[in-house]
Amino acid sequence: MSSLPAFSSSHPLLGSEYSNMLACIRCGLCLTSCPTYVLSLDESEGPRGRVGMARALAEGHLRVTPDLVEHELNCLVCDACTAVCPAGVHMDPLQVAVRSALESESRRPRRVQILRWLVFGWLFMDMSRFRLLARCMWLYQRLGVRWFARRSGLLQLLQLESAERLLPELPNHFVTPHDEQHASASTESTPAAFFAGCVMSTALADVDRATLRVLQRAGFAIRNPMQQGCCGALNAHGGDLPGALQLARTNIAAFEHTQGPIVVNSAGCGAMLKDYAHHLQDDLAWAARAAAFSGRVRDLSEVLADGSLRVRRELRDKVVLQDACHLLHAQRVSRQPRDLLRQIPGLVLTEIAEPGLCCGSAGVYNLTNPVQSRQLQQRKLDNALAPGPAIIVTTNPGCLLQLRSGLAERGSSVRVKHLAEVLDEATTP
Amino acid sequence: MTLAADLRGLLKTSRVLDAPAELRAYAYDASFLTQLAPRPPDVVVIAASTEDVSSVLRYANRHAIPVTPRGAATGQAAGAVALGGGIVLALNGMNRVLEIDVANMQVICEPGVVHAQLNAALAADGLLFPPDPGSSRMATLGGMASTNAHGMRAVKYGPTSAWVLGLEVVLADGQVIETGSVGSRAKQSSAGLELTKLIVGAEGTLGVVTRLRLKLMAIPRSRAIVLGLFDALEQAGEAVQAVFGAGVSPSAIEILDERCIQAINLYRPAMNPSVEALILFEVDGNPPGVRWDAERVCEVIAPFAQRAEWSDEPERINALWEARSVVGAAVGMLRPGSNRAYCGEDICVPVAKIPATLRAIQDISARHRIPIATYGHIGGGGLHPGHLIDGRDPDEIRRVLRVADDIHQLALRMGGTTTGEHGVGAARAPYMAQEHGSALEIMRRLKHALDPNCIMNPGVIFDPLPLPFELPLTGPVGEPAVATIDPG
Repeated sequence: MSSLPAFSSSHPLLGSEYSNMLACIRCGLCLTSCPTYVLSLDESEGPRGRVGMARALAEGHLRVTPDLVEHELNCLVCDACTAVCPAGVHMDPLQVAVRSALESESRRPRRVQILRWLVFGWLFMDMSRFRLLARCMWLYQRLGVRWFARRSGLLQLLQLESAERLLPELPNHFVTPHDEQHASASTESTPAAFFAGCVMSTALADVDRATLRVLQRAGFAIRNPMQQGCCGALNAHGGDLPGALQLARTNIAAFEHTQGPIVVNSAGCGAMLKDYAHHLQDDLAWAARAAAFSGRVRDLSEVLADGSLRVRRELRDKVVLQDACHLLHAQRVSRQPRDLLRQIPGLVLTEIAEPGLCCGSAGVYNLTNPVQSRQLQQRKLDNALAPGPAIIVTTNPGCLLQLRSGLAERGSSVRVKHLAEVLDEATTP
Repeated sequence: MTLAADLRGLLKTSRVLDAPAELRAYAYDASFLTQLAPRPPDVVVIAASTEDVSSVLRYANRHAIPVTPRGAATGQAAGAVALGGGIVLALNGMNRVLEIDVANMQVICEPGVVHAQLNAALAADGLLFPPDPGSSRMATLGGMASTNAHGMRAVKYGPTSAWVLGLEVVLADGQVIETGSVGSRAKQSSAGLELTKLIVGAEGTLGVVTRLRLKLMAIPRSRAIVLGLFDALEQAGEAVQAVFGAGVSPSAIEILDERCIQAINLYRPAMNPSVEALILFEVDGNPPGVRWDAERVCEVIAPFAQRAEWSDEPERINALWEARSVVGAAVGMLRPGSNRAYCGEDICVPVAKIPATLRAIQDISARHRIPIATYGHIGGGGLHPGHLIDGRDPDEIRRVLRVADDIHQLALRMGGTTTGEHGVGAARAPYMAQEHGSALEIMRRLKHALDPNCIMNPGVIFDPLPLPFELPLTGPVGEPAVATIDPG
């Protein structure tokens, strides 16, 4: 027997995730959890197919073809498959590596390359630039430009209608971390650090402020480190792993002088921050620092789960919780937000159908894959509205904007709130 | 015109895929064989109607193109992979529950309906389709019928074939027939040959199932689970025989060996004893009877068990069944860097020979230095050995293929079968002559009568195909390299 088969990969970018690919034993348990498989019933649109295609690429049996790129990039990276996989396949880092590999072999048009550099290489790399853009959008909303753009048909011409619809009313004041300390409002004082986020600290700055107030009332003394930036999830899922790692190192360094849990109110950011340890495990200089950082990251609902928050007001509302995929699947947090909502007197929490199916937001998926995103958005809204809620509660900025946009389109009066906003209301003295 | 273009022109509502990466996604099921020899089809049709299925088969028959029906491809025997090329006919898109006939306790559904989703739909009417594979959350009804899937509750309720009353089948020449009497809603019949039973378990070699008429039962009012822990495998075997002798008819009896228990605890901690065997006995029925049965099982197994306890709390029952249902895949977690290889994974032996078979499997494991975690439906004699290998080691691949062969031979030596419920596929086709003797020739004649051009799922059950193993490529992409391997 001279020639024996064995599985191996010499692919320069996929080798690091090859063990992850081999872990897939193709049992198919992931299929019915995958939003794109549920929509298409096509194996190449499901997790098993995507792992299979990636593995064939890693082993040299496939080359990068348009259909491979399409099916891999149609993945929402919602991690619903990861959550049910009994063999331990972890889709998020696998997709990060695949997208990085595809990007290195893709020949994008010049204008797309420039746009990608502007977004990933310039905008997300520095929060002062991001805040500048957000301020421009704020001006756009207030100086009559929006009125003109909407009525003149300019948005339609530039195919920016749906993107613009996702943009919330920007607040007058952003949350700009400057190493300030927010003192505990309770007799207890436990140190913590706050991850402000990019979208959260600007477009949804009111949620960040609500989060800080709730943490203060729960007895945390919170530091908001100045050098922190974007978490890097959009870079990582957009095929720019080097950019994501640069952001990871920036954030790790920014929080090293803080103590206690690193609290995050965005499920997507939280999942990425917890994955820094994985992404930097082979970087000798950063592996230990990344592991220490990731080990401290907690979702807001996790740090409040010990019951330290005192509810002061009753809220007579019927609410449903829209589980953010990156909290439910990627971080396996489902009980805590429910427990927090149930402790509010008068509030009635009802479960919805298909709670684990993504709402279609998934970072910028609603901009890059508008067809599937819309199908999932409508399905999520149908499920969420079926129990007749007054409020849909969620824990992630993407979900929040996706649902608000869909409800506005339907002319619905149902409100979408972040968990922090509901808790803030219930705990206001 | 290409095959794909022809089919696109021919089909009304079905989708046709022929891009290279898409085809690769249909190159395998869960079997180890298709990891070694993945075979992309020439084209995939995601069928949307019986009419389109008929058109595909008429075309394929005329041009002698192989057709492989496929459900969710959760099989472990390479039964739904186009090993000879041709068309993969995916039925998972035909997934409508067409009618729940509550008065006659039947359901009419399409083959792509997922088992768990069917039972979720039936629950509103208090009805149940009792065959219950571990792959309930992904397996399709068409696949279950085609492999005559058994599952955990077959010990009381029988296999899928016991619950299929009739089928709509598209034959190889495109003709559509209805078995089980046309338009019938009768629950039994003695009218002529039982074609339904011929098609069930035929693994798509005789035709394509496009509609199923299934018998249902009322959901049992109550369930309880008895957990028995045994220091030795032999005591576990004796306990099961004692339960049967005591006049109790459990709805499931599942055994897990020591390695399986460790694996489950790594995936989702639900049980953490350190024993050689763990058995779950489920009893169902009306509440007083269930309590009596559970207590009786506890009493009967007590002399053999280290510990025996029962519970009728739904949360406990669900946690234990959830743990049991994922053990097949979770055993891969036992050895970091290793994964489960599905080969020689589905034998069935006489119940009385289970302890001896389990010991023999341990010997095979030691002889070939391949860790094996075994679980199964001990009430019916079905055992699922799970082998753990590092696929990057060619020697482990060679050894696990020998393990699979040894296990198949062991099953036959014990007076059993090479497949208790997963089906023959291509993986076990080489054993059929040994297992069936001259009866295989009769099966072959039946096959040729219905499919004279042999287009239906070639290489499965009958006439094994030579399979080239795919070697890793380190250079530029090209044709898969081919090597032969001698499992002996």
